Amino acid sequence: MKLQNKIVFITDADSGSGKAIVNRLAAEGAHFILNSTSGGEDIESNLQLLKAFGSKVVVTNINLCKSSDLEAMLEETARQLGTIDIFVHNNNVVKPASVETCEEQLFLEIINANAKSAFICTRAIGKQMSAMQSGKVIYVSSIHAEKPTGSSFAYSASKGAVKMLCREAALVLGRDGINVNVIELGPVEGDQEFFQSDISTLYDSYQYKVPNANLGSHDDLAHLVLYLSTDEARYVNGADIRMDGGFLMHYMDFKMKRP
Amino acid sequence: MSLAGKVALVTGAGTGIGKGVAIALAQRGAKVAISYNSSDAGAKDTQEKIDEIGGESVIVRANVAYKNEIDTMVKQVAEHFGSIDILVNNAALQLNFNFYDHDEDTFDRLMNINLKGYWQCIQAVVPYMKPKGSGRIINISSVHGKRPTDFDTVYSMTKGGIKMLARESAIELAKYGITVNTIEPGAVNVGQQGTKETKPIVPAEVAEKMKKEARDIRKKFPMGRNGLPSDVGSLVCYIASDESEFMTGSSIRIDGASMLL
Repeated sequence: MKLQNKIVFITDADSGSGKAIVNRLAAEGAHFILNSTSGGEDIESNLQLLKAFGSKVVVTNINLCKSSDLEAMLEETARQLGTIDIFVHNNNVVKPASVETCEEQLFLEIINANAKSAFICTRAIGKQMSAMQSGKVIYVSSIHAEKPTGSSFAYSASKGAVKMLCREAALVLGRDGINVNVIELGPVEGDQEFFQSDISTLYDSYQYKVPNANLGSHDDLAHLVLYLSTDEARYVNGADIRMDGGFLMHYMDFKMKRP
Repeated sequence: MSLAGKVALVTGAGTGIGKGVAIALAQRGAKVAISYNSSDAGAKDTQEKIDEIGGESVIVRANVAYKNEIDTMVKQVAEHFGSIDILVNNAALQLNFNFYDHDEDTFDRLMNINLKGYWQCIQAVVPYMKPKGSGRIINISSVHGKRPTDFDTVYSMTKGGIKMLARESAIELAKYGITVNTIEPGAVNVGQQGTKETKPIVPAEVAEKMKKEARDIRKKFPMGRNGLPSDVGSLVCYIASDESEFMTGSSIRIDGASMLL
């Protein structure tokens, strides 16, 4: 049990990645604060599983861009569960946004969901962790912090911002014994739907662009989150870890390993 | 390398890097729109310097945090000079707030100017570049799009966003012959500037100490000096020229190798 009695806060627990991470960390004895936009409805079966694992769980549904809401929640959960040891920012709003035609409202929606919430949460939770002189902050981000999508500039800009947040927070929070890292996840099954593009061919036959032709899953992501959550990763700080099976290394189409 | 006949719009051209860029463009024969928000006197000074070298310029005002002001500014420039060939996105805010001093409001202010403003300026000039089948968009970012500042987290978040905005814009606008590139300056001597609310990057006592240790400048800047607005201006002029036609989606660090130490 690598995370016995550790308190984990995960955002967007309703997502596929959120569920996989929760399940993996629960198996290691963690307790949870889950921010669920469905108010827990969409994660019923996961909550049952957590019960079986013996995990204590608080389900919240707050605006992650609002410090006052966040601070009130942290105060309340500190009473119920204890202070947060591990923060996993897992927001991933992907919507098409063209540089030429995007509306301001959509741009801000994506930036706020993916980047502003990461900053506001880190700031609030970082204070709590600094008082304890320990903690782990993990951002689940995307390879599109480096590689343009050709379909949503606002998405990749938000992920580029999170990359810099990670580097800054690694310095500031690092001085208080907190590790801050970002995972830049590559394609998992179904991602081609989110990144349909007239410009970029990145997602054409994307599964074969992973050199061994095996796509990763959210379970792979969960394993890495677990590692970064433990003290085995104490010397990993300010790192952006690309986790894509070598997808972004792809160059020569004719050398792809096809079935 | 002549830019004769080209029209350039430079935001934040009343001070610092923007002023240097505007003058450099005028030196190569470009007609320059000097855009400013708060430094009225600075914009006039830029215009006077361009007058002195026999250049052509016009002053326009816009707060790039607001789309309607951007649209009005761009329309004004296009009407005055007949077109827009070059956009230099440069107007940016840096608050130098500690990590925990930032809040929702400061986040929004920086994001609205530095990232949203850059994007909406691009969006506003594209309709003027599209029919010509060519255009140059040059984003002045910072070495802090890659390396953290340790003095303004949200500032570097905006710069990390600009990196991706530029890459996406490059692949999206390539079909119109518009190139989009990014310049990442290191520390540049910009003289007296800033507003009342911005805090000095280094506390006074540290600044004093640094002054005494001026001989050690090579330990920070291998070339023995930090950058000047004109250094950035020369690079802008190359990217703005027809000679750079095939370069797009690139970032060029210009810092006298300071980031390599």
